[in-house]
Amino acid sequence: MKKALAMVLAGGRGERLYPLTRDRAKPAVFFGAIYRIIDFTLSNCLHSDIRRIYALTQYKSTSLHRHIQLGWNILPTPLGEFIGVIPAQQRIDEHWYQGTADAIFQNIYTLQLERPDLVVILSGDHIYKMDYRKMIAFHIENNADLTVAVIRMDQKLSREFGVIEVDHHWRIIEFEEKPEKPKTIPGDPEGILASMGVYIFNTEILVRRLIEDARSDSTHDFGKDIIPSMIGKDRVVAFDFRKGDRGGTGYWRDVGTIDAYFEANMDLVSVTPQLNLYDPQWSILTYQSPNPPAKTVLEEERRMGMALNSIISNGCIISGGSVKRSILSPNVKVHSYAEVEDSILMEGVDVGRYAKIRKTIIDKEVQIPQGMKIGYHLDEDAKRFTVTGSGIVVVPKGIRL
Amino acid sequence: MNKKILIVEDEESLRLFYEEELKAEGYEVLSAQNGREAIRQLEEGKPDLIILDIVMPVMDGIETLGRIVGKDRKIPIILNSSYSGYRQDFMSWAADAYVTKSSDLTELKNKIGELLEKKRVQ
Repeated sequence: MKKALAMVLAGGRGERLYPLTRDRAKPAVFFGAIYRIIDFTLSNCLHSDIRRIYALTQYKSTSLHRHIQLGWNILPTPLGEFIGVIPAQQRIDEHWYQGTADAIFQNIYTLQLERPDLVVILSGDHIYKMDYRKMIAFHIENNADLTVAVIRMDQKLSREFGVIEVDHHWRIIEFEEKPEKPKTIPGDPEGILASMGVYIFNTEILVRRLIEDARSDSTHDFGKDIIPSMIGKDRVVAFDFRKGDRGGTGYWRDVGTIDAYFEANMDLVSVTPQLNLYDPQWSILTYQSPNPPAKTVLEEERRMGMALNSIISNGCIISGGSVKRSILSPNVKVHSYAEVEDSILMEGVDVGRYAKIRKTIIDKEVQIPQGMKIGYHLDEDAKRFTVTGSGIVVVPKGIRL
Repeated sequence: MNKKILIVEDEESLRLFYEEELKAEGYEVLSAQNGREAIRQLEEGKPDLIILDIVMPVMDGIETLGRIVGKDRKIPIILNSSYSGYRQDFMSWAADAYVTKSSDLTELKNKIGELLEKKRVQ
C-alpha cells in the first residue's frame, strides 16, 4: 500500500461567519451541537486509514489547537501514526501563508521528514463524509500525478467554486477559479463540476510544482495557480465524489455564511437528515468533556421542561422551559417559562426565566437575562447583534447582556 | 554595470579562490561564511546571483536556500557542493543549478553566465 500523509489546511478565517469566527478559525467553529467543523475531515481520514495527519493552522489557532490536543490525541505515535498541529512557523518566509499552495510549500521540510508516496491535501472547512481510500485507489489506477475530487453543483453557483472540465476519461482539461460563465457538464447544462478542495498528489510532483510556483509571481494558490499550471503537463484527473461519498446523499457543505451554517445545522433536527451522524461504521469523533446526561425537569401545566425536534447534548438541563427545533451544545440551561425555537445554543448558554429566543445562534457562555426576547424584533436586535439578510440573529461569545 | 555575485562558502581558501576567479571574469563579488551572513548580504548587498555551499556551520545551505527563496523568489541560485546526497533534500530542488565542487571553475562560470543571461531575458 502507498504511504499517504494528509495535510489539512486549517487556517481558514471564515470571515463571512463572523462573529462565530471572532475568536476562532473556521475549522474550530462548532457544528451539530458537539462537533467542530474540522472533526468531519479528521474523522474521514481515520476511517479511510489515513493515520498520519498534520493540520496546518494560522489565524486565531488557540481554540483549534486546544481542541485537537484534547480530542484528537488518539493515535499511537510509536507506530508512526499521529495527528499533529503545525502552526505557521515562518521558517522560510516571514509572512503569513500567502495562499493554499504557499501553506504547503512553507512546510516542505515536513514532507521531507515524512517522505510519503502520496500527499492528501484537505480543507478543514468542509462538512462531508468521504472515503478517501476510494479516491486513492482511483488515483493509483489512473496513474495520476494529481487527482481532484469534484462534486456536481448548480451552474448558478460557479462564482463560489473552482470549476472543472473533464474529457471522457475524467482527465481534467480545464480548471477555472470562480468563473462567471462556467463550462457546464456535457448533457447537463445546469450542472458544473466543482472542486471540493480535496487533492491527492504524488509527492515528488507536488514538491516540484510547489517549488516552481514559489519561485514565480503567483498568488500561490492550488486552484488559481498550481492546478492550472499542471493541466496539459502532468496527469491530472477528477474523482467523482459520488464514488467515495460515505453517506450516499451527495452531502458536502462549505458552510461559508451564517445562513448556510444555520441551514446545515437545522438539517440535523429533521426526521431524516441529509447528513447522517448515526452511522456506527463512520462515527464522527470529537472532544467532549465528561458531562452528565441531558435532563428535563418539571411537568406542571405552564411550566413544563421539554424538548421537541431538537438535539440536546450532555450537561443540558431544560427546567420548566421549552425547546423546539433547536440544537443545544453541552451545558446549556433553559429555565422556567423560557421558550427556545429554531435556534442554535452553544456551550454554557443560560436562558433565563421567561426569555424568548427564536431563529438565533447564541455563541458560548452567554447568559440571557430573565424576560429577554431575541429574534422577535429584528430592528432592535440589529442594534446589538449581527442579523443576517434572512433574519438570523447571532449573539457573540461571552457578551454581557 | 558589473553583475554582482554572492559566494557563500565556509572554507576560507576556497572562498578566496572563487572570489579571485570571478573578479577576473569581470564580476563584482560579495562573500559570506555561512547562511546567516548570506541572508544579511542578500538584503544589504543586493546580489544578482548566489553560489551556495551546502555543508556549513551556523546555517547550512539547504536551510539558507529556503530562506533566500522566501525573501527573493527570483534570484538565481547555484548549489555548489562536493557531495550529491543533498539531492534527497526537497528544498535543494529550488536551486536553479547544481555544480559539483572542482578546482576547474569552467562549469561554474558557464552556469553563472547562462543564468544571468536567462534572468536578463526575463
